[in-house]
Amino acid sequence: MIARRIRLIAVLAITLVFLLAWVFPIVWSVLNSLKTDSDVLAYPPKLFFTPTLEPYRDVLFGSASILPNLISSFIISIGTTVITMLMAVPAAYALARLRFRGKKFAGFYVLATQMLPPVGIIIPYFLILRNIGWIDTYQGIILIYLSFSLPFAIWLLVSYFEDIPFEMEEAAYLDGASRMKTLWRIIIPQVRGGIAVTVVFVFLNAWNEFLFAVVLSGNTVRPVTVAMFNFISVEQTLWAKLAAVSVLAMLPVVILGIVAQKNIVKGLTVGAVKGGGRR
Amino acid sequence: MSGRGQVRFEDIVKMHGEFAALKGVSFEIEPGEFFALLGPSGSGKSTTLRILAGLDAPSAGRVFIDGQDITAADARDRDIAMVFQSYALYPHMTVYENIAFPLEMARMSKAEIVPAVQEAARKVAIEHLLQRKPGQLSGGQQQRCALARAIVRKARLFLLDEPLSNLDAKLRLETRTELKKLQRSLGVTAVYVTHDQEEAMTLADRMAVFMAGEIQQIGRPADVFARPNSIDVAAFIGSPPMNLIPARYRDGGVEIAGHRLETSLKEAGERDVVVGIRPGAVRIAAGGIPAVVELVEDLGDTAILDLDCQGISIRARVSDGDVPREGTALSITARAADIHLFDATTRRRL
Repeated sequence: MIARRIRLIAVLAITLVFLLAWVFPIVWSVLNSLKTDSDVLAYPPKLFFTPTLEPYRDVLFGSASILPNLISSFIISIGTTVITMLMAVPAAYALARLRFRGKKFAGFYVLATQMLPPVGIIIPYFLILRNIGWIDTYQGIILIYLSFSLPFAIWLLVSYFEDIPFEMEEAAYLDGASRMKTLWRIIIPQVRGGIAVTVVFVFLNAWNEFLFAVVLSGNTVRPVTVAMFNFISVEQTLWAKLAAVSVLAMLPVVILGIVAQKNIVKGLTVGAVKGGGRR
Repeated sequence: MSGRGQVRFEDIVKMHGEFAALKGVSFEIEPGEFFALLGPSGSGKSTTLRILAGLDAPSAGRVFIDGQDITAADARDRDIAMVFQSYALYPHMTVYENIAFPLEMARMSKAEIVPAVQEAARKVAIEHLLQRKPGQLSGGQQQRCALARAIVRKARLFLLDEPLSNLDAKLRLETRTELKKLQRSLGVTAVYVTHDQEEAMTLADRMAVFMAGEIQQIGRPADVFARPNSIDVAAFIGSPPMNLIPARYRDGGVEIAGHRLETSLKEAGERDVVVGIRPGAVRIAAGGIPAVVELVEDLGDTAILDLDCQGISIRARVSDGDVPREGTALSITARAADIHLFDATTRRRL
């Protein structure tokens, strides 16, 4: 009994440590975003202070507004996500279901592209985009993002499609459905958990991406991850504003996570129990 | 009986690489018939059903339905309904939507679909479950839902792939009877795959016994039971299975454990044979083969005796009342008409 209680306390303590480690930077950012610059730099750090929305007003509506950058990030992330899903869903279905020449190779190729270090391909990407005049354009950045989001999405979705019994599809054919109708009416509704998970991950990756964005973007198209650096300069770092931008940049991701939470949990546990994926 | 649903298989071969799953299968099914494909697993019965459904293509041979060559036709163009072993219900749709799906695919109007779905659900007694999802149904209810989805369209052919195998023993017996009644009342042609010979015997008008990719015998269940045409069929049909005893045939009789039994075959000469005697045909009577009761399995109304006849094992079914005890010595015999003879080399019936 006592041993059980000790074990429970130990588990709780470890969980708490992990939770704090995860939550601390976020709480710190939120707190800093509500301080004035002098409060941020006060030493020892002020736990009690008069909160202000000044940093938010500045970064949203001030001279260095990041609103255009947020919009850029949205266009890039949504564009990447939509195009990725439009291509990944049929591709994953094909890889999971159809028998065709080179299927094994195609499956391996999809994974292999994930093994390249991003730094290794950034220069070729830059040169390609420059040659076709797509540096600092939405289509340029989205195209490059597709090159890694698409394999990732396909790889993630294939396992969801594979979980659906063949017989389900065959039943639909015998019921008079075409392959497209079967995909649309029978298969996709059953992998919507997987699709939700994939949408979240693809959106997240695109939204948080920095390395490619910093090299391939410019003054016209500058996502918020890059724009954030405007607040860090040689002379000074505007911590409060930087924190405010961080919080703003986090918001869409958090909202998306909350909205898709039910589906994500469902999607992550599919296949855990025999027949669980069919319910 | 509808005049639709006549099936003809002509020399169907199905290869999986080097392996022949079907080695030239031919048979015919008459309209309105309940036809069972019976065989052990891996015998080709399910492959045959899948080829008929259009889910697999044969490597050679042709398939006709109602005189029309449909070998190359798509599954969805064949007008065939099927109940899968796993039921294959669409889990994201309600029972109503599941049953309505084939009608929607046939582009029927809502005004036609609603009564049709209700009618089909009523026939299998699930009209109170229409708003549930398959996950909220019991195994038996899921099975009925699958049946309703198959009968709602009034397809010309009704395929059932081991539809009872996922039900518990009691429900299986009940559903078996209902299935037969349903098929009769609808008058549709039904093709039924099973490895359970009892199911095939009770349900089918005729059956084809599959072994190793070939049809061994086609006939009415009672005929196949009474006159199995090979050792393999004899061993497969009947529970407990037929006693098969290697013996020597000589001038109308066979010798088992030093004792002669008269057979109905009246042929002069000698040959090696396999003698088949159904457990139910073994009689306890004086002056027969001496045997000792090794084990008694009491089934209530009957009992199965494991007998040792000087090293040869024979099983006998006796009705209750006169069940001998284990260890009892007795003597057994069989009527000439109950003795099946098979050639020891060709394994065919003599």
